[in-house]
Amino acid sequence: MKRREFIKSAFALSAFGTQIPIMALGRKNKLGRSVEWESDRIVVLIKLNGGNDGLNTIIPVQNDIYYNARPTLAISQNQALGIDDYNGFHPSLSAFHSLFQNEQMSLIHGVGYHQPNLSHFRSSDIWVTGSDANEYLQTGWIGRLLEQEYPDFPSNAPDHPLAIQFNSANLLEFKTSESNTGMMVFDPETMYYLINGNYIPGENDPALDTYGGLELDFIREVDLLSFEYAEVINETAAGGSNSIEYPETNLGYQMALTAQMISGGLQTPIYRIYQSGYDTHVDQGNTHNNLLSDLNNSISAFMQDLENQGLMDKVMIVTTSEFGRRYFENGSTGTDHGTAAPTMVFGNHLVPDLFGEQPSLSSLDQNNNLFIQHDFRQLYSSIITDWFGLDQNIANTVFGQEFESIPFIQTPLSIKQTPIPANFTMEPAFPNPFNPTTILSYTLPKNGNVTIRILDLRGRKIKTFRLGIKNAGKNKFILNGTQLASGTYIIQIDAIGSLLNQKITLLK
Amino acid sequence: MSNSRISRRQFISGGKKSKTYLDRLNPNWPTKEVAKLIRANFEKNPISHSIQKTEKTLPIIHVKNRTNSLQEIDWNLDAAKHLLNRTLSGPSYDEINTSFTSGLESTVQSLLEEQSLPEPPGIWVNEDLPNWNSLSTAERNEIIQSYYNRMNQFRRWWCERMMNESINITETMTLFWHHYFATGYSKVFYPQAMYHQQQVFRTHGLGNFKSLLRQITFGPAMIIWLDTGGSKKHAPNENFARELMELFTLGVNNYSQDDVVAASRAFTGYVTDGIQTNYDFETMEGWGYWWTDWHDFDEKTFFGQTGNWTGDDILNIILEQDECAKQICRRIYKWFVYDNVDESFISEMADVLRSNDYEIKPMMEFLLLSEHFHDPNFRGAAIQNPNQMMTGTIKRLNLQNQNFPTNFFPNLQDSMGMLLFEPPDVSGWLGYHSWINSNTIPMRKIVLSSLITGESPFGNFGTYLNLQTLSQSLYNPNDDGYPSEQVVRKLAFIFFGLPLTEAMEQQLQDILLNGAEPYDWNINLPSYNSQWNRMKDMLIHMFRLPEFQLS
Repeated sequence: MKRREFIKSAFALSAFGTQIPIMALGRKNKLGRSVEWESDRIVVLIKLNGGNDGLNTIIPVQNDIYYNARPTLAISQNQALGIDDYNGFHPSLSAFHSLFQNEQMSLIHGVGYHQPNLSHFRSSDIWVTGSDANEYLQTGWIGRLLEQEYPDFPSNAPDHPLAIQFNSANLLEFKTSESNTGMMVFDPETMYYLINGNYIPGENDPALDTYGGLELDFIREVDLLSFEYAEVINETAAGGSNSIEYPETNLGYQMALTAQMISGGLQTPIYRIYQSGYDTHVDQGNTHNNLLSDLNNSISAFMQDLENQGLMDKVMIVTTSEFGRRYFENGSTGTDHGTAAPTMVFGNHLVPDLFGEQPSLSSLDQNNNLFIQHDFRQLYSSIITDWFGLDQNIANTVFGQEFESIPFIQTPLSIKQTPIPANFTMEPAFPNPFNPTTILSYTLPKNGNVTIRILDLRGRKIKTFRLGIKNAGKNKFILNGTQLASGTYIIQIDAIGSLLNQKITLLK
Repeated sequence: MSNSRISRRQFISGGKKSKTYLDRLNPNWPTKEVAKLIRANFEKNPISHSIQKTEKTLPIIHVKNRTNSLQEIDWNLDAAKHLLNRTLSGPSYDEINTSFTSGLESTVQSLLEEQSLPEPPGIWVNEDLPNWNSLSTAERNEIIQSYYNRMNQFRRWWCERMMNESINITETMTLFWHHYFATGYSKVFYPQAMYHQQQVFRTHGLGNFKSLLRQITFGPAMIIWLDTGGSKKHAPNENFARELMELFTLGVNNYSQDDVVAASRAFTGYVTDGIQTNYDFETMEGWGYWWTDWHDFDEKTFFGQTGNWTGDDILNIILEQDECAKQICRRIYKWFVYDNVDESFISEMADVLRSNDYEIKPMMEFLLLSEHFHDPNFRGAAIQNPNQMMTGTIKRLNLQNQNFPTNFFPNLQDSMGMLLFEPPDVSGWLGYHSWINSNTIPMRKIVLSSLITGESPFGNFGTYLNLQTLSQSLYNPNDDGYPSEQVVRKLAFIFFGLPLTEAMEQQLQDILLNGAEPYDWNINLPSYNSQWNRMKDMLIHMFRLPEFQLS
C-alpha cells in the first residue's frame, strides 16, 4: 500500500502563518520497514460473539456420549449434513456443506488455548491480544502485526485503512503500542458526510501532561484518522458493488458492505465482522438454528458475490469465538460456557479438509470441558505466514513465541489484480441463442488455470466448471445447456487473474 | 477588516478549505439532505448493540495518593467543576459557582443526600400482566407495541430527570447501577420489570450494597435476564452464578469453576412471570412447586463451606470475601474517577466499604472528599458518556423544556452507542475509549449541533435556544473582561474539561465577534440581532472540537 504522511495534510495555518502539526504526535519515525507487505490478500474475520456451540455446529454423529448428554439439543445423524463417518454439519449449514464439497472450506477442530477461562470477557481478551491464559497484554495481535509494517503509524500511514471493523468497539485487537489501527465503519456515505461536515482542522496547542491531556491526544487522533480515511472508504464503497442480494440481517449488512468496499478497490487487508447472540444458556435450539442459518446465508452470499466479481481468490474468511460450550445441556435446554470449538475457514486457496478430529467427550478437563487440539495462535500464525506470506519471524514477534502452522492454506502466492491483457480474449459464443449446446472460444496469453462460470442476470452463480490448466493460445469450451432452464445467462471466463463476460441465451 | 482577522480566519478554516468550511459553520448545517440520509439509514440498519469488551491501561501518571486531608485540596472553581462533572449530567456555571461558595464538604453532603422517588413515567408501572392466552394475535401485537412505546417514554422520562437534576448524585448513581447490573429490556420484555429495577437503584443506590444486591438478584428483571428463572436442580443453568461472581461481586479469577457450579445449584427454583416472583423477602425462600420441585436442597460446597445453601446463603458467603468490596470499588472508580484503576486507592475504598458493613454512602463520601479524587491529573480525563453529554448540554443551554421530537432521546442514545435499558451485554457499557470512534465522533458532533440548529437526524424541532438570557446569566460585572470575553471563557469553562488555551480563546472570540470589536458585543441586543447567529456559530464550533468530548 502506498503511504502518505498524515502529518502534512494535518498542517493548519496559524495566526502567524507558521505551520504547526495538528497533533502533538512527536513519535519517532523508525527507519526502515521490517515487513514486506507485498500481498494484496484480505482476511475477513467473523467473531461469533457469546461462545458458539461447536458440538452443535460440526456434529459428532457417532458419539453416544454426545447424544446421551443432550437429550433435547442433539442433532441426529439423519438431520446432520454428512461430512464423513464422524462429522456432520448442522442442518442450517447447507451452503457450508456444499462449499466443503466444492473444496472451498476447511474445518479446524478443537481451537482454543490451554488453561481455558470461562469468562466471556477474559476469554475474548485472550483471543484478541493473542496472550497466554495467565498473561495480560495491552496490545492486540492485529495491532502488533500491522505495527511491524507501519512502525510509525499514524504519523506515517498508508492511504487505505489498515483494518476495518463494524458495529463494535473492540479496541484491543487493533491496538498497537501507541495507536489503534482499526477503523470503525457503519455506513460509509453517512460517515463521510458527517465527518466532513463536522471536522475542524487544526487545533494546535500541545495537550497537557496529565491524564486529561492523554485523552485529548486520543480523541484528536481518532478525529483526524476518521477524517483522513472517510473519503477513501466512501469512494471505494460507492465505486464498488454487490452482484447479489444478502440476507437482511446485521451480519448480512456487514458482509455486503465489506464486499462492496473490496469490489471498489479498498486495499485494507483485515476486516473484523461480528455476529452476536451465541451465548445460548436457555432454549438454544431455535436461537442457534437462526444464528447458523444467518451465518450460512451471509457467508455464502459474500463468497458468491466476490466470486462473480472475480475477487474471491484474494479473500479468506475465518470464524472465531471466545469459547465453545459444555458438551451436556443444562436444565434450561441450553448449554453453559465451554472451551475448545471448531473454526471454519472459507476461500479458494484452502486445503479442503478436516484438521484434528471430533473432540473426545470421555477425556475431559477438571471442569468437564473439552481439551484443545489447536492453539488459536496457530490459526492466526498460519494466516500471517501462509495467507499473507509473511516471514515466520513476524508471527513470532506478534506472539512472543513460535506456533506451528496448521496446513489449511495452499502455498502462499501474491495475487495482484492486473488489467485484462490484450491477448486474453473471448469470441462470441456460437450459436447464440442456442439449444442445447454452444461453443465458446477463448485465447489465453499464457498457460493457466481456467474456470468458467454460468451466472444468471442478477449475477448469481448457477454453475462452475473448473477446467484446470489450459495451454496458451486458442481454447474451446462446449457448454451443454440440457440442465439449464430457458433464459439469458452470463458466461464468465476466469483465467490469469482476469475476467471476461458475455451474455448467452438458451431457447428450449 | 484588518489583516490579522483575515489570517485568523484562515487559521480556523485550515487554509484551502475555507469556503466550504464557512458554509458548514452556518447554523443551517446539517442540511436537510444529510439529516434525511441518516434517518433513512437508521430505518434501514437498526443499530447493533454488540460491543466488544476489553481491558486496557495507560502509562501511569503519578497522582497524589490516598490522603484524606481536606486541607490539601485546593478548593477553587476548577475543583468544584471537577466534582460536579463527575457526579452530575453536566453542571451549569451557576451550579459550579454555588458549590464553590458553599464549600467542598457541604457540596458533597448535598450531592449524597438521598432523594424521594420521582413520579413514575406512567400508570403502566403498576399494570398487571395481560391474559395473553385470551388475546388475539392483533391484540397481542398491540400490547407488544405499547410496551415498546413505554420503554421509549421511560427513556425520555429518565433523560428529563437528568436534565432537571439538582446538585445531587442520584441520577448519575442510578445510571451507574444500571451499568453495573446491566440488564436489557429486549430480553426482559416487561417494562414494569425494568421500572421495578430502576426503583431499586433509586432506593438502594446510596444505601446498603447487600440489600441492593439481594433486591436485584431476586427481582423479576434479573431473574429473566440471566436465566435464573427455570433453572432446575440436577441440570442448573450457570449464567447468573458466573456473572454474579465475575461482574457483580468478586471479579474474574477470584472463584473457581466448582464455585460456579455450586452457586448455580443454589440458584435453582426461583421463577418470575415478569412482575411477580416466587421469592419471599421475609423468609428468604421461594414458594410453590417451582421451589419444592426445582430447588436443589442438597449439600453444596461453596468457597470451602458446605451446607444446604440457598441463593441467599451464596450471596452471604460472597459478601464475606475480601475481593467483593474491591470489585465494587473498582467499578465505582472506573465510572467516577478514571478508567485506569489505582489498586492501592481501591484497597482504601474497599476498607471503608467493608468497615461500614457495605453502606455505599460513606464510601462515596470518602471518595469524593479524597485528595486522590481531586488530583488535577484527572481533570478533563473523562470521556463523557453520550447520555450525560446530551442531557448535560441541554441543561447548560436551558433547553429542558424544548419540544424534542418523539423518540429523540432513544434515537440519539442508540446512535451514539448508549441506548438505555439495552446495554451491550451484562458487563454494561465498556465506556471510555469505546465511546469514541470514526462512527460515533461525527454523530456526537451532529447531535449536539442540532440543539443549536433545531435540525437533527431524528427529526427537526423549533429550538427555543435563548442566547441572550444565557449570556446574561454568564456575565458578571464584577468579573474581569468584556461580556464577549466572559461569555467565551465561561462557556469554555463549563463545556471543556481541560483549561482553555490562549489560542483557542482567540479563535472562539474571533468567531463570536466576526470582525467587531470586543466592546461592541452587547448582551442586551434583541434576539433578532445577527450577533446571536455568530454566537451560534461559536457554540457549534465548540461542539466540534475534540476538547468538548472531555469532562
